[in-house]
This record gives sequence, structure tokens and C-alpha cells, in this order.
Amino acid sequence: MTSLKRSHAATSPTTTLSSKTYLRTLKSGKVQKIVRELYLRQDIPCSSQLCSKCLDLAPPSFQGRSEPFVLSAIPAGTKQFPQGHYLVPDTNAFLSAMDLFESEGVLQDVVVLQTVLEEVKNRSLPLYNRLIALTKNEGKRFYVFFNDFRLETYVQRNAGESINDRNDRAVRKASQWYADHLQQASEARQSIRCPAVVMLSDDKDCVRKAHLEGLVALNLNDYVAGLADADRLLDMVASSREQRIAKDDKAQMLYPEYLTISAMLTGVKAGTLHQGTFNVSPYNYLEGTVHVPSFDRSLIIMGRENSNRAVSGDVVVVEVLPKDQWKAPSSQVIEEEEVHKNDNAENEDESNEGIITQQERKFLQDEVKRTHGQSAEGRPQPTARVVGVVKRNWRQYVGHIDKDSVRSMTKESRAQQTVFLVPMDKKVPKIRVRTRQAGELLGNRVLVSIDSWDRDSRYPSGHFIRNLGELETKGAETEALLLEWDVQYRPFPKTVLDCLPPEGHNWKVPAEPTDPGWRGRRDLRDLIICSIDPPGCVDIDDALHARRLPNGNFEVGVHIADVSHFVKPNNAMDKEASLRGTTVYLVDKRIDMLPMLLGTDLCSLKPYVERYAFSVLWELDANADIVNTTFTKSVIRSREAFSYEAAQLRIDDPSQQDELTQGMRHLMMLSKKLRAKRMAAGALNLASPEVRIETESETSDPVDVKTKQLLDTNQLVEEFMLLANISVAGKNYEAFPQTALLRRHGAPPKNNFEELANQLKIKKGMELRTDSSKALADSLDLCVEHSNPFFNTLIRILATRCMMSAEYFCSGTQAFPEFRHYGLASEIYTHFTSPIRRYADLEAHRQLAAAIGYEALDSSLQSRSKLEGVCKNINVRHRNAQMAGRASVEYYVGQALKGRVIEEDGFVMRIFSNGFVVFVPRFGIEGLIRLRDMTNDDGKEPEAVFDAENYMLDIDSKRQVDLFQKVRVQISDEAEESTGKRKIKLQLI
Amino acid sequence: MPLDTSTYSLAHLRVDGRRWNELRRVHGQISTQAAADGSSYFEMGNTKIICTIAGPQEQRRGGNSGQSHDAKVEVEIGIAGFSGVDRKRRGRNDKRIQEMQHAIASAFTHTLFTHLYPHSTITIHLHVLSQDGALLAACINAATLALIDAGIPMSDYTAACTTGSTASYASNDEAADPLLDLNSMEEQELPFLTLGTSGGDDQVSLLIMETRVQATRLEAMVSVGLDGCRQIRSLLDGIVRAHGKKVLEARVT
Amino acid sequence: MPREADPSTNEQAFLLSALRENIRLDGRALDAYRPISLSFGEDYGTADVRIGKTRVRATISADVVTPFVDRKFDGVFTISTELSPMASPAFEVGRQDQTEILLSRILEKTVRRSGALDTESLCIVAGQKCFHIRADIHVMDHDGNLVDASCLALIAALLHFRRPDVEIKGEEVTVFSVREREPVKLAMQHQPFCVTTSCYEEGTILLHDATLLEEQCREGDVLISMNKFGEICQIAKYGGAPMDGLSILTCTNTVLERVKIFDQLVKDRIAEDEKRRDVGGLIAELSAENDR
Repeated sequence: MTSLKRSHAATSPTTTLSSKTYLRTLKSGKVQKIVRELYLRQDIPCSSQLCSKCLDLAPPSFQGRSEPFVLSAIPAGTKQFPQGHYLVPDTNAFLSAMDLFESEGVLQDVVVLQTVLEEVKNRSLPLYNRLIALTKNEGKRFYVFFNDFRLETYVQRNAGESINDRNDRAVRKASQWYADHLQQASEARQSIRCPAVVMLSDDKDCVRKAHLEGLVALNLNDYVAGLADADRLLDMVASSREQRIAKDDKAQMLYPEYLTISAMLTGVKAGTLHQGTFNVSPYNYLEGTVHVPSFDRSLIIMGRENSNRAVSGDVVVVEVLPKDQWKAPSSQVIEEEEVHKNDNAENEDESNEGIITQQERKFLQDEVKRTHGQSAEGRPQPTARVVGVVKRNWRQYVGHIDKDSVRSMTKESRAQQTVFLVPMDKKVPKIRVRTRQAGELLGNRVLVSIDSWDRDSRYPSGHFIRNLGELETKGAETEALLLEWDVQYRPFPKTVLDCLPPEGHNWKVPAEPTDPGWRGRRDLRDLIICSIDPPGCVDIDDALHARRLPNGNFEVGVHIADVSHFVKPNNAMDKEASLRGTTVYLVDKRIDMLPMLLGTDLCSLKPYVERYAFSVLWELDANADIVNTTFTKSVIRSREAFSYEAAQLRIDDPSQQDELTQGMRHLMMLSKKLRAKRMAAGALNLASPEVRIETESETSDPVDVKTKQLLDTNQLVEEFMLLANISVAGKNYEAFPQTALLRRHGAPPKNNFEELANQLKIKKGMELRTDSSKALADSLDLCVEHSNPFFNTLIRILATRCMMSAEYFCSGTQAFPEFRHYGLASEIYTHFTSPIRRYADLEAHRQLAAAIGYEALDSSLQSRSKLEGVCKNINVRHRNAQMAGRASVEYYVGQALKGRVIEEDGFVMRIFSNGFVVFVPRFGIEGLIRLRDMTNDDGKEPEAVFDAENYMLDIDSKRQVDLFQKVRVQISDEAEESTGKRKIKLQLI
Repeated sequence: MPLDTSTYSLAHLRVDGRRWNELRRVHGQISTQAAADGSSYFEMGNTKIICTIAGPQEQRRGGNSGQSHDAKVEVEIGIAGFSGVDRKRRGRNDKRIQEMQHAIASAFTHTLFTHLYPHSTITIHLHVLSQDGALLAACINAATLALIDAGIPMSDYTAACTTGSTASYASNDEAADPLLDLNSMEEQELPFLTLGTSGGDDQVSLLIMETRVQATRLEAMVSVGLDGCRQIRSLLDGIVRAHGKKVLEARVT
Repeated sequence: MPREADPSTNEQAFLLSALRENIRLDGRALDAYRPISLSFGEDYGTADVRIGKTRVRATISADVVTPFVDRKFDGVFTISTELSPMASPAFEVGRQDQTEILLSRILEKTVRRSGALDTESLCIVAGQKCFHIRADIHVMDHDGNLVDASCLALIAALLHFRRPDVEIKGEEVTVFSVREREPVKLAMQHQPFCVTTSCYEEGTILLHDATLLEEQCREGDVLISMNKFGEICQIAKYGGAPMDGLSILTCTNTVLERVKIFDQLVKDRIAEDEKRRDVGGLIAELSAENDR
């Protein structure tokens, strides 16, 4: 039997073999023992340009390249080291002062030891990535010395020695070697100037040992104190060090446990706990609010611990905190990206991650101080904490991968790694995602979903679903916003085909009035009807006519596309439409509620062809008072499809005297009277910024942004649509008092306007009366500044934001006084006039058809609970559609302004203690200007004093920013780091 | 989290301190198992293999194949449960192992003079004691040594090694260095292939690659691999000669 | 154990001497394929490939399962191969045959290991629910070149397949039937194809798409899988006659050309199939996303 002795002969003359053994604990709790070989060598150069010996030491790579030497032959000196010096920082030095190392032109000629690099990677991946970036920056002269592979500097871990001690020893040994090596090198060169090798460490013991070994070692503070710009640099060290200390606080379970379901239910019933939907402030991710029925004002939820793993939109149960913890709503803008840029995505390192980082704690501290400081004016509001989640409303989230959290960026690497996904929605925290394609996903829009949020994890964890494409490409961004607002954009299911008329585009109104399609329809084909819509409109919902009756009164007709003829209740198409709820209009796209065949052809009231319609006919007297109203299904033939502009021109052109133009002039005259009456009744004239994007026709790339113009014809159409809606609402309610589908707009709670009224009073001495819509409308009319015509619009925009949002409801669920539409000052209201693009209108059509005895009402429209379900869905869809539309405009505005720098007028619309929001009417955009962005020449953030009572921000005592102030801003674009969107960047001039 | 292969670009040093063209320490012994017809022990770094040969011996299964004028080469690989980081048993029916067995068997069928042993079987048993990359290559090298020990005539040594390529952004493919003889950590992160040569320079008798890589990188990988195989071949040759010398010396005394 | 009878010495000698003069028995050029036909079934995810007399059918199916504990964030993708006696008398039911092991290994490496199907997108709720995509390869007739045919069928079937749509709201998961919602395509990251090169005369004669007889007479083979972007997904040369290192490299170039042809073929056939399904051009009517 031969023994299996291993030979000790080295395979290569320059290497010696050693091995490294360590234990690794996996997440599953499994312990692995890893044994790795180490080949110790003597051909690793010192990379100092001083040294001639190392020059031909390193063999070239396969490509025949050898690395240039990095460290300067004549490194910079300081007071302490006039000979010049190389730095050898230890791990802690990098962890606590990365900012210092990164700052331009401060520290050069740094030797990064392999031992240190490895430890930094273990402690914080983002810091490791920053360090690697530094070593690749040529001007910085950072050199990575692989001390653990070099025979002379390799250190074997002794028995009983902790890994930290071993690493410290390795750092000292490497410094020692460098010092000796440089000594020899400079002797060989016969140079007098031999740079010192300075070891940087914050570990007292390590420094002491280094001194004993005759090394030059300093702690960070002592070293920095010897530099030229010591004060400023010391600040950098201090602030980053604080963060680290916080991280070392270990917390096993980061979040408190949720209460049991039964405890929550009893609590809510007893009134000690409250249930509501959790909303996060768009300006401050640490602040959330929950509106609960028992309080007028929303409860504030401050900080991560109190929000206890609730994500914006979840239905939560909260407990009110004691009064001494009440706070005023934040006056600061806090973005997650700023605070947590060094967090590690890998779960394994979770243990040293506290629930609240030091920086967050600082923010919270500031809040408390503020509250205590201004007990009278700041009005602390009740705060609460989340004790349980009733229903998660997690959806799929679109975002991009945080590139600092990616370990290996190579595309081939299929190794699974954990990365952070930064959602587009700033209200949603970063999501931890495990993926094997991090490299590929980098720089792309990615769809993920949240799976869980455990107590021991600061962030929720989720999984990858789909890659939408590169950031900022039209396709990816459009899909992203559709997903983000839950718009159903996928094709209709094939079953819908069976519900379409088999004739397809060849369908026509039957010629024979005996055809069943004609049953109960009035033949209105000889009326002079036209439609007025935005230019290029293909889904024409409505058409109008007016003519003078022999008795001097007017006959006015509003004719609406008869969609309910084609879409029968409860078939596949109806189900799909009710799910989609509404057509969504983006800048360049339309996401249809109904298939195109119906929407843009068979239902659309196109000119010159016969179409089925549902008509509302009034007899109006010269005062535009209604004499009588008739509802009927009909067949019409529109004579012309006008754009608003074309219609306006035609009306204004005195040479046009034909019947059609006359009819439109009647309509115009009547609409003005209707409008005056409505205004007198207290209807509000509100404003929201609307812009139009001009695109190049070839490529449909956005080229310019224009504000939308309102013409009289817009108001003409609007008035008659309102009239039709109101008339239909009355009729439907009369026929179905329990199940009519109506739309209401609640009067806003008084305190909604408090802030705005207060602001107006203090800044402008104006009064905002809010006791009724009439009072509000009147006082809004008085908010005028002659020097500044836009001021009134600005106030109207702000007032609009204080309003409740209008909603669909089923008449049986509310008392009659609650039906009121506040904004329109109408007793009752519904939507009837746009059935092609709104599902609510389709339902109203069906109810009206039943109300006039045209056909029987489907059972689904008689059930209150079913209707409530429909209302709930279309309310959500309606809001989402608006948001998606706005997001689309925002994207296009960003693209249109890409690469341009423009100066524009803006108005300050909100003030925080560390920034303010400016609205630019020209583009309908608002943007945050943070003090941080206003760095002056010396690169420092300006000092600012925030006067909350006077809504004033005093910047560097040089400049004051007031609320409502008109300012000149520079508009440029920038790709926003945190959401990956191209955003407008504003700068104060 | 120890450093990974991405630090290669910093100083052209691999995770274990080697340069791109260096093999790990290779160690081999012949005639380690007296009971076997031929045996060897072979190490490439921390990958350790014992190989024993049984045969040529009479075919075990009833002569179903009418025209087997040649000896049949069979391979059995046993991977010890303790050989890897995870202690788990691999079933004999693991397709990956069966594939390896097939590859080794057909590689040797071609170099061995099987026509000298009609109606017989040569069985190669490979016992994997420890795994740290280049498993298939180490098995082939071990089998070459054991077959020589068994005295079965062959046309040439079959020498094998692995080569990889440093992954970097797909965009700058040209800057990627090929690496010789990957350890298990590198195999997990980088694309690699196993190359076996026999019968003179550049004659590739076996080439297996399981990871996705740009075709343009293949050339560099193969050429470095061929060079590696030459080194392995001379190492194998050295081991055989040293052993032969020892045997002869023993005879003389 | 049944075994394919080896060709007679006469036959072998004839074939080889013909090859020496660059002539194949069926008159093809050395790198030419037999006529390839690719067709799809009525259901999504069935592809039928015929190369000459060789015929392979791939079927994809999906169901919802619990993911593996160690791969919480991934769906499951399995490929199973079956060589039934229908294809050749040499195949037996239930016994693992060398050919089958190699076939399934090559498919595994070409399609699964290379990440052609993105399994992460199959995850529904991490650790709880995911899709299991199962590919079944049935060899119906075996006249050589099984691997290329199977790989082609598998990729085509994966591209053709649609899985049911799912929706996650809060913690609720809904899987929609095909009638309720248009099923969705699988997320394919690239389409690799395998091309087998057989070699004769110590690697001096190389040919593609060998028939069964040619396979029985060859000295060795190289299986190379690539995608049209020129990425090699897998190379397998299991022993056999040694080849020049350089000729393997040139081999990859011819393989790439062939792979591009395959890729186009699959793309064309898929497009044709989609057209066939769109009776009367009504699919266009179903698009919800339209230009303004």
C-alpha cells in the first residue's frame, strides 16, 4: 500500500501555496466550511513610481498589457510629513470617511489593501462600489495592493486570534513592508526624499501596536487636523461617522409585531383603535396620514417604526399616541434616496441594520424640536402608530434597479443577488429583489411585485416580473405609467369578437324603418345636427342642434352615441368595459374602453352618415329656462364635425348665414345664458393647469409645450352637456330612486381651506370665505392682483386641490341632500354624455332607456350592491386615468425640454424648511427647489431660516422667498436619480 | 462576502492569487491501490480523485452485441458525499454524471488500443474525494495515469484542463482575459470549458462547455486551453517517468 | 436489449468512399439540411418538426405549483424527453438509454442553463406560487439528427406557447382562464439552437444533419448550440476522433449561419401561425392601445 502523501514541491518558482479556511452561514441557517487555496507570490509590484525594482516584476496579462504604476514618485506632503507620504487606511477609515476620500484633490496616493477592500465589501456593498470607482479614477492615484497574495505581507491567522485582529495585523504588516520597500527603493535611487507610509486607523489599540512596531500611524482626526482645509474636512469625517455608529446598534426584530385580527376588531369596535387607509406624503417618505371616521383631521404617522411595514394604500389599524408625541406635519422634504444610499441589499448583513438610521433619527428630532418650539402656532396634530394591517393593497410596482446595490454588473453572471428596486412612486419604499439578471436589468424599467415584509427586514421583499425596456424610451415609459396607474392596456379577449356586429365596419343603420333596430326610435335625420370636439377626435360621443320654434322658443337637442344598443349588459364586452371603466387619454395614445370598431366607427357620431343616438330634446325659452324635456332613442345624421376652433370661426363669420351656423349661434346665445345662471347659483370656476404637447408629425417626438386655449365653443359644448346630464339625472332618479347611478361632489370640510385661507390672509391680506360654494366663488373672484394677472389662477389651482373629488354613487346609498354637486352647484348630477369613453354613462343610458320604457332594465342595474361595486371600480379607474394622463404629459414635457435651458416666470406655491415648490404656468409644471441644490460657489448648502408663521424662507440672509412670490427660474432637465424619470429641474435665478 | 472575480481587472490577479496562465498545483501518483489492475491518485488544486481500473476482463453481460471485436470501455464515477461544500448524496442516475461517464468513455475508446482485447471490458472507476473545479478534467487525467498503470496500450496521453474567460461588460469583450484552470468559485461566476487533447498538438479529443459566452471569446479560451493541456501532458509524463524510474530501481535492487 | 442493427460492412464502406469524394448518399451538399417542416397545433405550445424522416413533437404546458424552497423567486421549468419504440425499434419504454440521456442533457444545457426562458418572470408569489412550465419532447420517428430537431421543436413550442394571465391584488392571486383574458407569451431572453456536426476521416470531412446511417458510420460529432447574436450556449464534443482546435472554431462560424436560418424559420412560421389564427383580420379590432 502506497501512502497518499502530498508533495511539497511548489509548482512555480514564484509562488508558494497556502490555504484559507473559513465558515460561512447561509440564510437558511446552514453552516458551510469553505476551503480555498492561496497562491502566495513575489511578483506583485508596489506600484510606486519611485521604485525601479518592481517595474518588470509583474508579468503582462493575456492581452500583453501591464498595469501602469499609480503612486506618484513625489507625493504631496503635509505639515506632519514634509517628505510626502502614502496613506494606508484601514477598513474603519474608509467606512467612516468615504466622503473625505472622494472629495476632489484632498487625498491622493492611497494604498488600498486587499484585506481592507474585502472587509469594506463585507460591511457595505455601496461603499465598496464607491471605493472601486475611486481606484479606477486616475487622478486620485488609489492603488489596490493585494497584500494577502504577496508572500512577504501574508499573515496567517493565529490560533485564538479574532478575524479583526488578524486583519489589523495584516494592515500593519503591509504598511511595514511598504515603508521598508520604499526605503530601499529611494536608497537605490539615491534620492533624499523618501515618502512616509502613514497608516490611518481609528482603532486606538491598533495605532498603539503600530507605534510599538515602529510604524507611522495616526487616527483620522489627527491626520485630517494636519491638512490645509482641516475644519471643513473634519466635518465630513464626523457626519459620516455618526451614521456608522447608529448602524452598529443591533436590532434583531426591527418592527413590532402586528396585533391579532380579533384584537384589532375588538379595538376598532371599542373605539380605542381606528381603521383607515394609509397614505404617504409625496414630499416626505417618513410621514404618512390615515384618515379615520372618528376624527376630522387625519392622524399623522411619523417614521418607519410607527408606520410599521405599512405601504401606501394599505388598509391599516392604528392606535393614537399619547399627546406628548403629537407633532405638526413636516415642513421638510425628505427623500429616501438621500438618506439611505449606503444600505446593503443582501439580506445576510441585515443584523447590523437598525430600523431607524441615525440620519432618520436626526430628521425626527428636528420635527420634535419644531413642535415644541412653536406650541401656539404649529398646532401639533394627533399622531398614531400602525398596529396591524387589515388588507394589503400591494400591486405591481414599476421602478429601476439601484445600481449601487448591484454586486456584479456583468451580464453573463447568472449568480443570484439581492438588489434594491427603487419604485417610480416615491411613496413606496425600496423593494428588495432577488434576481439572477441584475446586470441586464440595470438602466431598465422593471416591473416587480411585493411578496412580503418581515419583521426583521427594513425593506419589503419582492420578486422580478418583467423587464419593460430601457429607461426613458417611449415604449418603456408609457407602459410603466400604464402599469403604475393600473390601466388595462392589453388587447380585448377574443370572446369580445362574438359581441361585435358581424357586419364589422360595413354595418349601417337599416334602411327600412320596419327593421327591429328602428323600434321605438324617432327619425331625426332631417335635423341640422353637428358635433364640436377637439381637433382630430375620432370617438365622437355627442352632437347638437338648435332651431327656433314658431312660438319664439328654441328647440335644442343633445344627441349622444347610442352605445347601449351595441353593448348588451353582462356579455364579454360589457364585462371588459366595466373593468376598464374609462378610456385613458395619453399624449400620443388612447387606451380604449370599447373596441375600436364601436368606439371610432359604429357608435361614433361621424358626420354625413346615419347613426343611432340617444337624444335629449328641450324646449327652452329665450331666457334659456326649460319649458319641457323629452328623452328618446333616435336616428340622426350629423351634417358636420367641427373642431372647437373651426366652430368658433364659423359662428364669428358674419357671411355665414346658413341654417347650420344659425343653429350654432342659437346654441351659443343660450349657452351663455345657461352659464350665467349657473354662476349665479354658485358654480365654481376652478382651474387646473393644462398644457398641450406639440409633436413632430413624422416621429411624434415632442418639440414644444403650449398652454391649452379655451374658446367660447368649448363652453358652449360644456354647458349643454351639463344640462343634459342634469336632466337625465333627474329623470333616472325619478324612475329609480334606489338604484340610479349618479355623481356627487361633496362640500369640502372647512378645515381643508384653513391653510390656504391663512396663507392668503397673512401674505396678501385677502379673505377666503368658504361657508358655501357661492361664497367661495365670490371670494375667489376677489383674489386679484392687478400687477399679476396669473395670481388669481394660481389661487384657483390651489383651491382646487383643497376640494374633495367628485364620485359616482348609487342613489340608494346617500340621502338626497348629499347628492349635491358642489362644484357645479347642482342638486343632482350624473354622467350621460360620453358613453364611448366612460362606463358610468353607459349605465346611465341603460337606466334612462328603461325609464322611458324603451326596454326592460337588466337585473344588474336593479341591484344596489352590484351598482355599488361598479361605482367603486369606476371611481378608482377614473382617478387613475387622470393620473396616467398627467404622468404622460409630465413625461412628454420632460422630453420636449430635454437638453434645453429656458428661463421662465414661476410662482412659489409651497414652502418647506429645506426647500420650496415653484409652479411654472408656461409649462404647467411644478418643481421642488431644494436648498441643497442652491449651493453657492464654495459648494456649501446655504443656511436658511424658515419662518413657518409668515411662510417665508430666508436664505443666507441674502434672499427671501415668500409664498405666492413671483420668481424667475431657470428650467433645465435632469434624469432624476430616485425614480429614473426625466424631470424638470428648476433653479432660482 | 469575500472578493469575487470582478477584482481581476484591478491587478490581473485571480481570487486565489494566480495569474491568468497559471495552473494550480498538480500532484499525481501511480499504483496507489494494490488490489486494482491499475490505479492512480490525482490532485488539481483541491480537486482530488482516486482512479482504479478493472480489466481488460471478459465482458460481463451476455454477448448481445454480435460484432464487438473491440474492448468496451465503461466508466463509473462515484462522487463522495463529503467532496463538496454541501454534504449531499448524488444519485447514480444523475444525468450530469452519466453524461460525464459517457464523455470519458468515448474519449478513451478512441485512444486505447481496444482492438487488442476483443469481447472484453475495461472499467474505469473514478472516486471523487474532493471537488474544487475542473472535475471532468481531473477525472480524465487520473484515468490516463491509471490506464498506464494498468498497462493497457494507448496511442497517446489524454490530458485535460479547463479554461475560462474573465467576465466583463459584454460591450468590451476584447478586454477579457482567458483564464487557465478555474477553481470552483471561478467556475460559478465565469464562463468556462473543459478541453481534452491527445495525439499531438492541438488535437482536441474532448470539448465540453456548458455556459453561455460570446463566440469571439472562444478562440482565446481554446488556445490557452491547448497550452494548458500541453503543460498537463508534460506533468503527466513526468509523473509516469518518475514512477517508472522508481519501479526500475526497485527491480535492480 | 433490442439494438439497432449495425449497418453492414458493405454499406459502411460505400458511404465512406462516397464521402471521400464529397458525395452523400442522398445527394445533398455536406452542410445542407434535409427539408425542414415546422408546424403548430391548434393549441398554443405544440410544435411539430420534421427533418427528412425524423419527426419530433414538442408540447408545452403550464400549471401553478409551489416553488422549490431554495429557489423561492423562480418558476419551475422542466424538459422531459421520451424516446418511444414508435420512433425506432432500438428504443424501449421506461429504460434510460444513452441517446436519451445525451439528448436531454443537451436540451437542458442549450435551453435551460443558458437562460433562454426567464424563469424569474414565472414567479407569482415568492415562495408560495409559481408557474411550472413543462416541455415534453416526443420523438415520433428517428432517422438521425434527433438533437437538432428536438431543439428546434422545443424553442418553437416555447415561442408559440401562451400561459394564463395572472393578477395580484394585495395578497390575492387570480389566474385567468384563456377565455377571460388573453393568455400571455413566455418571456424568452434569447433563442438558442443546436447544430450537430459529424466528422469522418479523422476530422477532415465535416457534415451537417446526418441521417441515421451516416450517424452510425461517423467517427465523432460536435454539438454546438448558439443563438443568432453569436453567443455559444453549449459545446459538446464527447470524445471520438480528435479534431483540430482550429476546425472547431471554424465550425462555430458555419453553425452561426445555420442558427440564423433556424431563427428566421421559426420567426416566419410563428408569424404565419398568428396570421392563420387571426381570421378575417379581427385581431386588430381587439387592440386597446391606439394612437390618438
